[in-house]
Amino acid sequence: MNTISDDDKRFLERKALASRKNVLRMIKAGKTGHVGGALSIIDTITALYFKVMKVDPQNPKDPDRDRFILSAGHKCLALYAVLAEAGFFEKEILDTYGKISSKLPGHPDMHKLPGVESNTGALGHGLSIGVGMALGLAMEKRAEGPGVYVAMGDGELAEGSNWEAAAAAAHHKLDNLMVFADRNRLQISGNTVDVMSYEPLEDRWAAFGWSVRTIGGHDMRTLVETITSMPFEKGKPSCVILDTIKAKGLSFAEDKASYHYWKATPEEMEMAEKDLAEIEERLA
Amino acid sequence: MTDLRDPRKTFGEALVAVGEKNDRVVALSADSSSGSGMKPFHERFPERHFEFGIMEQGITGISAGMAATGKIPFFVAIAPFVTSRPFEMVRNDLGYMRQNVKVVGRCGGMTYADLGPTHQSLEDIAIMRTIPGFTVVNPGCPVEIVKATHAITDHVGPVYMKLGGPKMPVLFDADYDFQLGKGVTMQDGKDVTLVGTGTVLSKAHAAAAILEQKGISVRLINIHTIKPLDRELMIKAARETGAIVTVEEHYIAGGLGSAIAEALAEVCPVRMKMIAVDDQFASNGPYEELLGLYGLQAEQIAQTVEAFLA
Repeated sequence: MNTISDDDKRFLERKALASRKNVLRMIKAGKTGHVGGALSIIDTITALYFKVMKVDPQNPKDPDRDRFILSAGHKCLALYAVLAEAGFFEKEILDTYGKISSKLPGHPDMHKLPGVESNTGALGHGLSIGVGMALGLAMEKRAEGPGVYVAMGDGELAEGSNWEAAAAAAHHKLDNLMVFADRNRLQISGNTVDVMSYEPLEDRWAAFGWSVRTIGGHDMRTLVETITSMPFEKGKPSCVILDTIKAKGLSFAEDKASYHYWKATPEEMEMAEKDLAEIEERLA
Repeated sequence: MTDLRDPRKTFGEALVAVGEKNDRVVALSADSSSGSGMKPFHERFPERHFEFGIMEQGITGISAGMAATGKIPFFVAIAPFVTSRPFEMVRNDLGYMRQNVKVVGRCGGMTYADLGPTHQSLEDIAIMRTIPGFTVVNPGCPVEIVKATHAITDHVGPVYMKLGGPKMPVLFDADYDFQLGKGVTMQDGKDVTLVGTGTVLSKAHAAAAILEQKGISVRLINIHTIKPLDRELMIKAARETGAIVTVEEHYIAGGLGSAIAEALAEVCPVRMKMIAVDDQFASNGPYEELLGLYGLQAEQIAQTVEAFLA
């Protein structure tokens, strides 16, 4: 486990803020987007790219790199925002969101944008792909082999294919694999437990052979300490249940299923920018 | 005497051979290794053989992930379970992601004659060839299975290869030149072009012989690669013979005949007859009798061609 200094924590919080600003920049360009889930997972993605993963924006195909797969591909605003912040592509590209043949489709396309590891969008695909990557990388039998990180939505967990992959990961003892279950407790129709409950998530993942920890998904120190503890148990894949807030950071939208997909009015955009400005003042 | 060989055993031996040649080749099994001829690969390369049990959707995604790390996964199981069942994973994780995975559907068509439509695959060619970037191969003889297995290993990109179950007659010499995407003129002729593929290529071959005896000059073409289709060869045949009959163990919708009709319609439309199963779940019973139920035996093919030309 690695912990982080107060300065590092502040650095990551600023990067997360800059990434949230990038999200707003894309929404301004495209007018709409899946903002709710993007802002519940964006802190995790920030921690991964700025503190945990071995990745090189100048060499995004380095065979020794760690891999991140955003299985809940509709949260791609968060991925694009962090990749831009990390220097995988020019920030001007953010202004093409929603434009014809943009490199930033509504679900990520690995052939359009450097740093994207997998095409996702249809739910229930990313974990299988991550299992395959972890298995392929484990075959190299390197002591410090690359890790594979997969972020899933809690609503997404209803897709049965996930549980095929979950079983396969444990059966093949893939301790170079970590899944994040982004438990913001909301999906497009309402509360996840009302739509289709997979609670208790901890017990389900554990029953499938995973080593499970539950943490708050917006605290940078906890995120880094937890992620760098992979594997939680030798010979087992690691599962992090992230307790998060949908649309975190936008006061008017937080914890509301209606902001799963946001058609931003000018008034809301103004409020959103004000919210981020207040966060910036706190971090100054 | 006709040299008959088991397609699964033949494929399994070829897989070991490509595994010897290329250490990136891995085999993925959905509780399907022994049934798919992969046991020799498992014995020869235990560290490159992965068992997952019966989870075809999961394995399709897993194969994409392994390919993303440089492996060349062969995912082999009963044809409908690697095509129609995990179709979205095949489309997105292999096709859209352009992953170098070889999907092999064995015991395709009506091989599982007595088990009925759940285990038959008469739509696999149709659905797999809709996926941009996919190569679709349907070998028609054991020699071709071996050559195709080597060719698809060397080809970079997602491939679907369909195999039958019953023993197949050898139609080609070992030095036969197999090229992905290139059809093979097995016999020249001028009255009609008879096109066969996969498991019933041998039936078309036998039908051509019957027709020759009756004085009908048949151009016999083997289309082992349905996508990309050898358009040039088919356009030439259409221009020179003016009539085309296709033979396949598949639905009419979307299969070999369909693919050829699409290629010809804008360039050189000619009369066509498609011998295949037409818009019905196939029945059950002994395999050869089932082929007969849908007009896929050699005598029936010959009669259909004669009637078509009359």
